[in-house]
Amino acid sequence: MKDRTQLAQPGEYTLGDLMTVAAAREVRDNEVVFAGTGMPMIAIMLAQRTHAPRLKLIFEAGTLDGRPKELPTSVGDPRCEVGASVASGLYEAFSIAQRGYVDLGFLGGAEVDEYGNVNTTAIGDYLNPLLRLTGSGGNPDINSFAKRTVYIMVHEKRRFPKNVSYITSPGWRVKNWPTGEWVHRRELYGAAFRGGPSAVISTAGVFRFDEETGRMYLDTYHPGMSPEKIREMCEFDLDISRVSGETVPPTYEEIHLIHHVLDPDEIFLAKPRKE
Amino acid sequence: MTSRSKRISLSEAAEIIKDGSLLTFSGFTIWRRPCALVYELIRQKRRHLHLIEVNSGPHSEFLIGAGCVDVWESCWIGHELYGKYGANLARRVRQKEIIYEDYSHAEMAFRFQAAAAGMPFMATQTSLGTDIHNPDYDMLGRAGLRNGKNPKIPRKKYHIVDDPFFGDGRQVLVPAAKVDVAVLAVQQVGDEGTVRIAGQFFTDPEVARAADITIVIAEEIVPEEYLRHESHLNKIPSFQVDYIVECPWCAHPTGMFRFYDVDGEFLRNFYTQTRSQEGFNEFAKEWIFGLNHDGYLNKLGVPRLARLKANTVLNYSTRVERGRK
Repeated sequence: MKDRTQLAQPGEYTLGDLMTVAAAREVRDNEVVFAGTGMPMIAIMLAQRTHAPRLKLIFEAGTLDGRPKELPTSVGDPRCEVGASVASGLYEAFSIAQRGYVDLGFLGGAEVDEYGNVNTTAIGDYLNPLLRLTGSGGNPDINSFAKRTVYIMVHEKRRFPKNVSYITSPGWRVKNWPTGEWVHRRELYGAAFRGGPSAVISTAGVFRFDEETGRMYLDTYHPGMSPEKIREMCEFDLDISRVSGETVPPTYEEIHLIHHVLDPDEIFLAKPRKE
Repeated sequence: MTSRSKRISLSEAAEIIKDGSLLTFSGFTIWRRPCALVYELIRQKRRHLHLIEVNSGPHSEFLIGAGCVDVWESCWIGHELYGKYGANLARRVRQKEIIYEDYSHAEMAFRFQAAAAGMPFMATQTSLGTDIHNPDYDMLGRAGLRNGKNPKIPRKKYHIVDDPFFGDGRQVLVPAAKVDVAVLAVQQVGDEGTVRIAGQFFTDPEVARAADITIVIAEEIVPEEYLRHESHLNKIPSFQVDYIVECPWCAHPTGMFRFYDVDGEFLRNFYTQTRSQEGFNEFAKEWIFGLNHDGYLNKLGVPRLARLKANTVLNYSTRVERGRK
């Protein structure tokens, strides 16, 4: 029998598993985490069952400190409320976030630029969009209020452009309206500044940000990738001078938890072909 | 108004909503949306609606696809796991058949809170530096709708000030979300209008208060005395509710905590089918026109509804298929 604490070998886990585990490792114990739907939810529930048993989970729709047993398919799902401290509403959840209680938020995006600005609103000219997307949802709110925000994204060159089509969610360098000049986020947020995007976990690697320059850099590359290859997959000039190595694969225990405890029905994550 | 007169039918409820109304709903994305009433509005061919919502979902995709909506003002539209964006809104945006106005989610929640408390605006620090505050992207302004002609539409999209009290820097003032009619889908309403919501109440209390007229569609109308026995569990007082409708499965295909789960298969099919207007028209022909609510439930059939029915202890269905397995 395999030692469950050992790292799995390539072929024994999926890219989804690798990203979920990378996301779970962003969570520290005792933190208040604002959870979105999908892979972030599995990542957080995984962290809750491994290294962060005392994390507190807030769902945008109003559940505070939930302890779901079954994987919710959205934050409005009754499954969020199992074991919760309080089931309330959005005004409560957002007020608590604006008050500064949230340490970490997990979010997604269609596009991200070098400074961590994210677009979930429209592709192309906002006034004549090629494709209208879902819109902001709580993306800018969670990102504005939390101390750290982690983005989970599909990696394609067009999704890592020099400038996003529409800044839905603020990165480290943002626009100062009404002129639209670029300024550091700290300057604009003043007393409300708490942090910003701390990592982007893509299908290619894990990226972090220099908080002073606001620029993204590559931290780890997923097995099978290389820093040079990933730089080619960005339209901006990606900083690859600070790479720490390969993304650490999941352990057998983590794979077991993902596919047999958290998402056995493959709602968000398909099982590896041979397990 | 006497308490008895609050009880009306689904079609009478739809008639209260006039062409051009500013309209909002209960619920959250794919949960507790008053779809039965929305179908009825489509059957009655309501036009020129201005939807203003904390967040949107399938119910608005129905209305937008059917051509009932001139303005969509919110922050999000889609079907969660079952369809990644609002294809009907996207199509009408591309064809310039609808005015869209984007705020952030917290901004929308705060806008409803302001309206609910009779405040003209609320101050927040969200979304600074984003294109939500790009002055060129004030779409109601671009359409000439901020001219004061409709007193419920604010003269500006937002206003930025420096905190005058504590010197804590930049604040965004977001205008109250004033609405003509709010339609809620809930589990229980008393015969005098007291609303009890089970589970997360989303922004329903704010939404009800923000509207001039509140219509509550409930899975069941129950005796007021029952609800008043444990008044701490109630969320909206009787006098804030103008009309009540009893309508089991009123939120289908969206879910209702303790009553039924989301019909994911229905939403996935709707999303796939209605990427084109022809597809939407076929959907509407099959599921909306020529049916009333009973006909709709008949068409869904008992086995399907039974699968969606929530376990009364867990508050969600244990039999509904959610994943690939």
